[in-house]
Amino acid sequence: MSKATLPRNTTRQAEGMQYGDVARMVHRFSGAVIIAFVLVHVIVQAVRHVPMFASANAAAPWLQTVQGQNWIHAILFFCIAFHTLYGLKLLAGELGFNIRYQTAFWSIVGVSALFALREMLRYAGL
Amino acid sequence: MPTDIKMRAEIRRYDPGVDAEPHYETFEVAGQDNWRILDVIRSIYERQAGDLAYQFACRVGRCGTCAVKVNGVPVLACQERCKPEMRIEPLTPFPVLRDLVVDRTEIEARYEQHAYAPQRKTEYAGGPEAIDVKHAEHLCHMGSCLACMVCVSGCPAVEERAFDGPAFMLKLRHMAEHPADTGNRLEQAIDAGMLECFGCDLCTQLCPADLSPAQAIREFRRDMIFGGSKKHE
Repeated sequence: MSKATLPRNTTRQAEGMQYGDVARMVHRFSGAVIIAFVLVHVIVQAVRHVPMFASANAAAPWLQTVQGQNWIHAILFFCIAFHTLYGLKLLAGELGFNIRYQTAFWSIVGVSALFALREMLRYAGL
Repeated sequence: MPTDIKMRAEIRRYDPGVDAEPHYETFEVAGQDNWRILDVIRSIYERQAGDLAYQFACRVGRCGTCAVKVNGVPVLACQERCKPEMRIEPLTPFPVLRDLVVDRTEIEARYEQHAYAPQRKTEYAGGPEAIDVKHAEHLCHMGSCLACMVCVSGCPAVEERAFDGPAFMLKLRHMAEHPADTGNRLEQAIDAGMLECFGCDLCTQLCPADLSPAQAIREFRRDMIFGGSKKHE
């Protein structure tokens, strides 16, 4: 905890970003994206490779294209990284290693964005 | 130098004795850009709506009485800078007595229920008790909570789950760290929904007294994992 600085001169809290709210929503959204991707991926792989679904595979030739979209992989990698790192940050806090919320949020977003960027560059052949 | 500005304030009005439903009333206010939200409310009360119910006491961010929600964010009205467009509402999730005044009966009952005074092994002897200076400073800081309920109003876990709120956890932690207290504050915190906290630190960001209820909760959780809720016994 920081030292008491009362009385404060002024605040602008209603104008700024609510870090906790944003982090919590992104954490939930990224979890949902991961689950959705895994489910869709399993279904698509079944359709593409199981002989029983050969007719469905023939009717949906775009499935392979969708699976190979770089932006989908970028979002997925961002979500995996954010969800993992934010979860670890919460765990670390409870084990006694606290990181200030702004620092933690921007660091996690930054690292996750690097993973997303890496995917984009990989598709670009860089 | 402060400059003159025009503001539009939308205030949630509700008188349970008269209104069937809460409604919003919009006021145009001429003021200055260094006004606080409380100045805007007061100007509306003085010039446009004499029946507007609101409350304040110290005007310097020490008492926590004037807490309201501005554009959905709980703040102290006497500290938050005015905005060109603002929607002012009473603190949630508390019952509204009238307009911007909330009923604090349940809050006071919760404070009483948690028994926020040291539970001693032996009777209080009277007079000052020896205490480590550093630790006393830490306890004083924790004890500077205004009970303004800004953190409780902003807490997403309070909204979604059975959780009393960050302010109560901070006070329980304060007691847990008090050398004279022997109560099982960890158990009390768990009963009050401590495990429902998301750990998002929104309470830390919003706290007008620069306290961190989230850190208090983390310390309780660490005690749960590693044992030992008394550091200074």
